Amino acid sequence: MKDLIMITVPAAPKYLCLIRDVTVRLCVSGGLEEPVISTLKLAIDEACANIIKHAYKGDTGKKIRVQYRITKEAFEAVIEDSGKKVAPELLRGRDLDDVRPGGLGIHFIKRAFDVVAYDEKKKKGNRLKLIKYLKEE
Amino acid sequence: MDIEVTDYKGIKVITVKGDIDMYSSPALREELIGHSSMKVSVLLVDFNKVTYIDSSGIATFVEALKHMKTYGGRLRLFGLPVGVKEIFSFSKLDKVFEIFVDIEDAV
Repeated sequence: MKDLIMITVPAAPKYLCLIRDVTVRLCVSGGLEEPVISTLKLAIDEACANIIKHAYKGDTGKKIRVQYRITKEAFEAVIEDSGKKVAPELLRGRDLDDVRPGGLGIHFIKRAFDVVAYDEKKKKGNRLKLIKYLKEE
Repeated sequence: MDIEVTDYKGIKVITVKGDIDMYSSPALREELIGHSSMKVSVLLVDFNKVTYIDSSGIATFVEALKHMKTYGGRLRLFGLPVGVKEIFSFSKLDKVFEIFVDIEDAV
């Protein structure tokens, strides 16, 4: 499957399940298997939740766009918003030994994807590029 | 997500069904903090029908655990599906929470 698939949802927590469902279906149709599917689903969900929380600060009138491309070589997702620029420390997360609520999302994203990169050229909002390389059996 | 509260051998059991995510975790937080505010000595959470948990769900349990520890209460989780358990263990929280196989182990 080389098609480019795009989904745009309002930036509200109740729509995160739609993004999860689409992610799983695309993974399955792309031939991916568990536990990889679950890690990708969680990572994309966390990235979108971060947008709601940090970029839009709960403004549900805004939109989140997720663009997927699955090839034999890679699963790619590009997640875009028009909110506040992400702070670099958000990409670090908390120390896993420091037990407290929050700061885990970025760890879930980084363990699922080989490439986690914000497009610094985007003038307004954020564009997060995620790539998971798929190994040939 | 659905939440059901029952009693088992005199202990409160919160059964959670479905996805615990950014949308549903505030309701779960309300339930957990509500019980810990009443200073219940032990609170069991049945995970058997939990289909998904994200970082906001994990954060909700961490917050409840910390709240209960302030008065010596015990939050015990049981019946974690493999995928959910793996998320706790990746987050190094399997060492922080009391996690049991089933309700009989947990009581």
